[in-house]
Amino acid sequence: MSHRWVLDLVERVGAVAAGATVTVAVADTEAGSETDVDADAVAEWCRRTGNQLVELRGTLATVRRGRADPLAELAGLPAGQRPGTRLWLYTNFDCNLACDYCCARSSPHADRRALGLDRVRRLAAEAAGAGVTELLLTGGEPFLLPDIDELANACTAQLPTTLLTNGMLLRGRRLDALRRMDRARLAVQISLDSPTPELHDRHRGSGSWSRTLAGIRTAAEEGFRVRVAATLPVGLTSDVEPFHAFLDSLGIARADQIIRPLAHRGAADHGLTLTLESLVPEVTVTADGVYWHPVSADHDDHLVTTTLFPLASAIAEVRRLFAEHRARATAAAQWFPCA
Amino acid sequence: MQTHLLVGAVAYTPNVVTVWEGIRDYFAGGPAEMDFVLFSNYQRQVDALLDGTIDIAWNTNLAWVRTVARTEGKCRALAMRDTDTVFRTIFVARAGSAWEGLAALRGKRIALGSRDSAQAAILPVHFLRRAGVDAEYLRIDSDVGKHGDTGRSELDALRAVLDERADAAAIGIGTWEAIGRGELMPGAFEVVWTSPVYSHCNFTALPALDDERAAPWVDQLLAMDWDNPAHRPILELEGLRRWVPPQLDGYASLFDAVREQGIAEHW
Repeated sequence: MSHRWVLDLVERVGAVAAGATVTVAVADTEAGSETDVDADAVAEWCRRTGNQLVELRGTLATVRRGRADPLAELAGLPAGQRPGTRLWLYTNFDCNLACDYCCARSSPHADRRALGLDRVRRLAAEAAGAGVTELLLTGGEPFLLPDIDELANACTAQLPTTLLTNGMLLRGRRLDALRRMDRARLAVQISLDSPTPELHDRHRGSGSWSRTLAGIRTAAEEGFRVRVAATLPVGLTSDVEPFHAFLDSLGIARADQIIRPLAHRGAADHGLTLTLESLVPEVTVTADGVYWHPVSADHDDHLVTTTLFPLASAIAEVRRLFAEHRARATAAAQWFPCA
Repeated sequence: MQTHLLVGAVAYTPNVVTVWEGIRDYFAGGPAEMDFVLFSNYQRQVDALLDGTIDIAWNTNLAWVRTVARTEGKCRALAMRDTDTVFRTIFVARAGSAWEGLAALRGKRIALGSRDSAQAAILPVHFLRRAGVDAEYLRIDSDVGKHGDTGRSELDALRAVLDERADAAAIGIGTWEAIGRGELMPGAFEVVWTSPVYSHCNFTALPALDDERAAPWVDQLLAMDWDNPAHRPILELEGLRRWVPPQLDGYASLFDAVREQGIAEHW
């Protein structure tokens, strides 16, 4: 086993520009023996020569000339999309609805799994110091929590915050809780899928559209900035003008009208397939850990770490993984040129 | 732009562009601004230095020796890499051959790199002759014109040993380092002999470039700092930690070799 491929690595990597990648066969194919790959030796060659092993797949090693600059990978994104700019907090997982496409599998039967006020307060405080510029509270249905006003105020005390809700519970003591929140720092994002009840109620339950519409009006009347977010099957996201017209009539600014495609996650039996590689992360914290994105916060394949604190470390890990995926994707693009 | 110093370099990898754009940017706004011109081979570059097209040439050791010959010693070296002062040639054979020293190569078939490579062809022959060792040579001219800069002919020489087309190969210390000094290729190679250090590349100028223009450029070049994040990538790509004043004693063996082997002034 002479590791003859070392000569090929030196020649091929040495011939390309810094930052470019090459894929080189690194199998030891001695006569009469089976093909074998010494992964440690490949990694060691890259380490010694200051190059980056992007991927070792089968007998093929993809190597980047020089080292990737993680900051350069992140710099390619718009400022608002850089991982760690927005921080999602799952306040709880239980919900008064059981939507058939819920990415978090929330329902009246789901365990609460609440973050709790102490952790939310600490997360909000650390977020401000870790470069986060916006907090988003979601669930489950946050208004099921008796201390939702304290949770929201702990967040708005640190950063501008958005509170996601189905808007159906804004009555009585829950309306009182809403009224105790900071109108200058809190936006209320309410889920509504269609300009008429049929589509919305089909997925979210009979009568839910009317009560949500009432909630939108209540939140707006109370002086909160209201965003409305619709979750639509991929094929329906192009014909949305009637929906926009309806939201216009409610006084919702166009910038606050959000149409998002259904994700194949949680309770949904179809929708966009989202993987770590295809999804730009938005750091998401639940009672169980730190996840890649809010759409996958109930899925182990998107769990980044079960250690919530210090938050800056969790954010750094998400950024590191993202840079890694980006580097791999860039390399993949170079493996399969069109011409 | 008229007053900028013009530095020539040979484009032997795409990274030469990155290196020289970085060096040009490093000098921008300073007392010795510069631009660069890339050549496809060292003969073109030395010709351009002699006809005044460029002010300074980033020369290999063979290009330096030829420039000295063609200017009758009137050219001068301005600076070199720290790594250029400690270059070596390594003779390697298949692991287990247990050959120690050049005498062990007597009568053997030795793979050499491109014929214009000082480290992998001209100096190996010189060292063998000085040791009184007659050997058969397998010359592998994979990158003629670039004086062995691409390293390809040295890798081909190593392949020749693995394929048993040669008993040993002569390569530069750079290639030996790049393959992990044999540690990453178990059972492949072992060192037979390591040469004394000699000098490799340098910045070469003619008397037409007076000190008033050259000195500020050299001062600023020597001030590039490995610990400065803005300088580091350029230094890494060019293969040095710092620029140093030239060590001309290190070219003595190559002057002897060129004279003894009758290496032409042009190639």
